[in-house]
Amino acid sequence: MVSKLIDLVKADCEEALASSVSQLEKLKNQKIFITGGTGFVGTWLAEITAFLNDRYHFNTSLLLLSRNIDAYREKAPHLAARKDMELIPMDVRNIVEIPSDVTYIIHAAATPDNRQHVSDPLGVMATITKGTSVLLDSSVKLPGLKKILNISSGQIYGKQGQGSEAIKETFMGAIDCNTITSVYPEAKRYAEALCCAYWSLYKVPAVIARPFAFIGPYQFLDKPWAINNFIRDALNNNTIRIIGNGLPMRSYMYPSDMAFWLLRLLAEGNPGTAYNVGSPEGISLKDLAEKIKQFVGAKSKIDIKNMNEDRSRIIPDVTLCRESLGLTVKVGIDKTLQRSILWFQETGHTR
Amino acid sequence: MKNVIISDSTLRDGSHAISHKLTKEHITAYAKAADAAGIPIVEVGHGNGLGASSLQVGLSLLDDRTMLETARKNLTKSKLGIHVIPGFATIKKDLTMAFELGVDVVRLACHCTEADITERHISFARERGKEVFGVLMMSHMAPKEVLLDEALKMQSYGAEGLIIMDSAGAYLPGDVQSRITHLVSHLNIPVGFHAHNNLGMSIANSVAAVEAGAQIIDASAKGFGAGAGNAQLEVLVAVFEKMGYKTNIDLYKALDAADIVEKEIMDAAPSIKSVSIVSGLAGVFSAFAKHVAIAAKEYNVDPRDIFFELGKRKVVAGQEDIIVEVALALSDKKKRGQHG
Repeated sequence: MVSKLIDLVKADCEEALASSVSQLEKLKNQKIFITGGTGFVGTWLAEITAFLNDRYHFNTSLLLLSRNIDAYREKAPHLAARKDMELIPMDVRNIVEIPSDVTYIIHAAATPDNRQHVSDPLGVMATITKGTSVLLDSSVKLPGLKKILNISSGQIYGKQGQGSEAIKETFMGAIDCNTITSVYPEAKRYAEALCCAYWSLYKVPAVIARPFAFIGPYQFLDKPWAINNFIRDALNNNTIRIIGNGLPMRSYMYPSDMAFWLLRLLAEGNPGTAYNVGSPEGISLKDLAEKIKQFVGAKSKIDIKNMNEDRSRIIPDVTLCRESLGLTVKVGIDKTLQRSILWFQETGHTR
Repeated sequence: MKNVIISDSTLRDGSHAISHKLTKEHITAYAKAADAAGIPIVEVGHGNGLGASSLQVGLSLLDDRTMLETARKNLTKSKLGIHVIPGFATIKKDLTMAFELGVDVVRLACHCTEADITERHISFARERGKEVFGVLMMSHMAPKEVLLDEALKMQSYGAEGLIIMDSAGAYLPGDVQSRITHLVSHLNIPVGFHAHNNLGMSIANSVAAVEAGAQIIDASAKGFGAGAGNAQLEVLVAVFEKMGYKTNIDLYKALDAADIVEKEIMDAAPSIKSVSIVSGLAGVFSAFAKHVAIAAKEYNVDPRDIFFELGKRKVVAGQEDIIVEVALALSDKKKRGQHG
């Protein structure tokens, strides 16, 4: 990875931590065990922790569990080589024992790739359900465990009504469990219920994070999500296609904000509580496509096909995070898009 | 006024009807005419799609490159579409070449219970900025619940539309209405329908599909397609216009394009032959007709018996070799009957 890109990410971490470092004080001199440690979320947690150690002498060490550490060494060699990060090659489902000096756990193992959800539904479900189960079993035996942050999903709220309000943590979402696309959110709901059961029975200090949508460095454009398609098509000067009317509202958080919010939840979140993690700043798909086209400087045509009347809104209400933990979004949608586009251009990941 | 997108399969499904012997002149003449008529999507290629030319399903007179290059030169407004069945078409050899030649729309097809095999092809096509529709062939063989499950997979892989094919011409309007309604109410992407005319239902079934919410309808000029043919494009344009649906196709010019097919391309106008009725009733792939006729003649058995036996065995496209096996078995049974 070229140093320019590393510098970009460091600048993002610096911005996310500016005037907020003291909010993570509890994580100093701690050992954090992270499942899914080399995925998108895990990589950003490692970046921000590295910055905390280098700039603010946090002396926090990470154990990053991953099924494919070779790919990680290729993706982020500057992180893989660090002494404060240890890579553990293991599938989350095979965890038997967690090192006894671990004091915090972040459970981020699961893929949000909806193609995998339908092609390998049993594997996806097993990673989430069995993975969470064995992790919680092992965590019970840790003498100094202070907190587990279970990364759930905003998808557990199910399908949103047309024009519905921002989604609060108390929203009772409805999911039709008898359909292949529910495999991921239903497994995530089960994992949340498991955390609740371990908290109730063994007082395992489990906090739930429900992430929504993110865009930025360490992502790839191959997933068939609207924002990925828009950026990819703009970067290639292809037509940006919107099947519906362009009116559905979505929101996107920049990953340095995400990483800071997650560490803050790990440090100060209340066990037994679920928190939305995402940007409350909504944007219509039409406006999103126009902004992306503008920021790329693309010649792409935006083709709104009007083949459905979808006006759904998938935007988190983050009042709980803001009021109880003082969390705010530092990178707005314009900067999020501009930095993401720059990343994809610099890395050559334009497809 | 609601829009219906007509996807023209004349130069692809029609290829079956002339044993994949489309010439450059055929493609040039029809593509020009279709383009002038404002037909939104014009599919071109071997009847079984990209990369399918083979001894197994029939050798194409022209290679894929020549067919696509010829069509591309003559399509200025209409999008150039291809039918792609993973297995026949590979990403590296076929899709990459097709994209270099300027294909716009990729119709990613599989047997109606095998959507899993389309993931990589759909992803690749989307990554290259192509418009991608998922296509479930032989859809009469699966109940609507299974079709939806497979359709959801294609939607998750990135398909921007989902088309069910009545490859055997086996549906009645009620069957179409039930399936399309179920898909439309559960998918986030537009739904389409591809008819065959074995039971004389292709127009009625296409109308039923649109009334149930389908927004993409496949059709062929003069019904030029496998077996008893497809829904006749120019008839559908007229019918949809009368029903108040907008196709954005110039009817007169569509009629002119159909005349070209009749005079210059097809050997004979599609008709509902007795084997077509039987294959529709038996639920067997329409494009088997020629292979069945050959086997029936060679082994001196009734082609209708072959179709019913194939229907019992639930064969699907790509299993053409079973036709000979069935013909042999029927012939053997006949001989033993004579001697026993």
